[in-house]
Amino acid sequence: MPAPEAVRVAIQRDADIVAARQRGREMATAAGISGSDLTLIATAISEVARNILAYAREGEILLSVESRDGRCCLQVIAADEGPGIADVELAMRDGYSTGKSLGLGLPGARRLMDEFDIVSAAGAGTRITMRKWAR
Amino acid sequence: MTDGYNTPPAAQLTDAEVERRRRVFGLTAEDLARIAELRSAVVDHRAEHTAAFFDHLARVDEGGDLFRRPELLDEARRLKEEHMVSLVSGDYGRAYIEQRARLGALFGRARIDMRGFLSAFQMLIGSIVRRVAELHPTDTVAAMDRVVSIRKLLFLDISIIQDVMIAEREQMILNQQEAIRELSTPTLQLRDRLLILPIIGLLDSFRAKQLTENLLRSIRDRRAKVVVMDITGVATVDSKVANHLIQTVAAARLMGAQVIITGLAAEVAQSLVTLGVDLTDLNTVGDLQGGLEEAERLLGLETRRIGSA
Repeated sequence: MPAPEAVRVAIQRDADIVAARQRGREMATAAGISGSDLTLIATAISEVARNILAYAREGEILLSVESRDGRCCLQVIAADEGPGIADVELAMRDGYSTGKSLGLGLPGARRLMDEFDIVSAAGAGTRITMRKWAR
Repeated sequence: MTDGYNTPPAAQLTDAEVERRRRVFGLTAEDLARIAELRSAVVDHRAEHTAAFFDHLARVDEGGDLFRRPELLDEARRLKEEHMVSLVSGDYGRAYIEQRARLGALFGRARIDMRGFLSAFQMLIGSIVRRVAELHPTDTVAAMDRVVSIRKLLFLDISIIQDVMIAEREQMILNQQEAIRELSTPTLQLRDRLLILPIIGLLDSFRAKQLTENLLRSIRDRRAKVVVMDITGVATVDSKVANHLIQTVAAARLMGAQVIITGLAAEVAQSLVTLGVDLTDLNTVGDLQGGLEEAERLLGLETRRIGSA
């Protein structure tokens, strides 16, 4: 069964995180990614999806296979219209959390993926774009 | 579970949403005026239209449990006749939507699926259209205009029934998920003071919480000293679940039990290290067998083969 080009997973409850992770594994496989990278990607998706639930209550994860210069990657966009992050630099620091978490979600996700970009401002929602390239 | 059938979600629409739905289906004042003219064609023959619907369901065997449960069938017929009366009443507000949703919920309860419903509904439409045509035996255009108007309303009905059926299905899936979670974290006593906790599948935060509660209760009830938690079957552990495991281990330690974690997959270990989760507080052993050996050592036990082998 050929995988679709792009998949959108609405994040509204815990079970949606699981769904996003599974779709992420499928799409990553379609992008030619294999082995332990699949688990790293699933974990990164899990982190950003949890942040959506914890801080914005709802949002979405968009998964797509992209290519550049003949190489493929899985692109993950996590978008919400929640309260946003006032200080993005601080939020990207290990161990910083306004909630009760370990504060590893965002910096951890950045380390798990090859590319990581976050756009957010207080009151303006958050949009995280991450990529993992096939080796 | 609470009885969701009495308050189907589609019946909880606000007035604005009801209005929006009417606009989406393009119901104009002109349509309403034309529909009002169809009173005799619809209401006087409502038994016939209702029969067209249910006879078809019975004929093609798509009635689910409906024909095995007389009380449901009677109620469904009554609601359908009521539908025929409301259809030309001119009032398509919340009460109307609520009526439709109630019938939709009943169909859901009778396990009639969308295919069965649609096939019967188009028979009902056919029955109505024939009577509408009789009102204008020589003026095809007038007859068609009226059919077009009432068809808008009938398709709006379908949209409500569909929403209700989907909502019922989603509720069913949620209930099943809950049921699976309930049976998913058994604590097994291997021998005196030693518990095994095999974790298979997905560790979401709800399950992680349940797991902690079950484990702590078992430690107390069975006076456990060592717990071997095997996570061979867990494919993904993110920072939240890892944090939960760490806290569970700490709580178990407060209760006097040591936790050994086994079966951490290589990819999971790599993810956790990359995430930056501090796992130094966890006592991990490669596989379940190694974990049990370590547990016995902690308990001061020794396993020996008897005699020569």
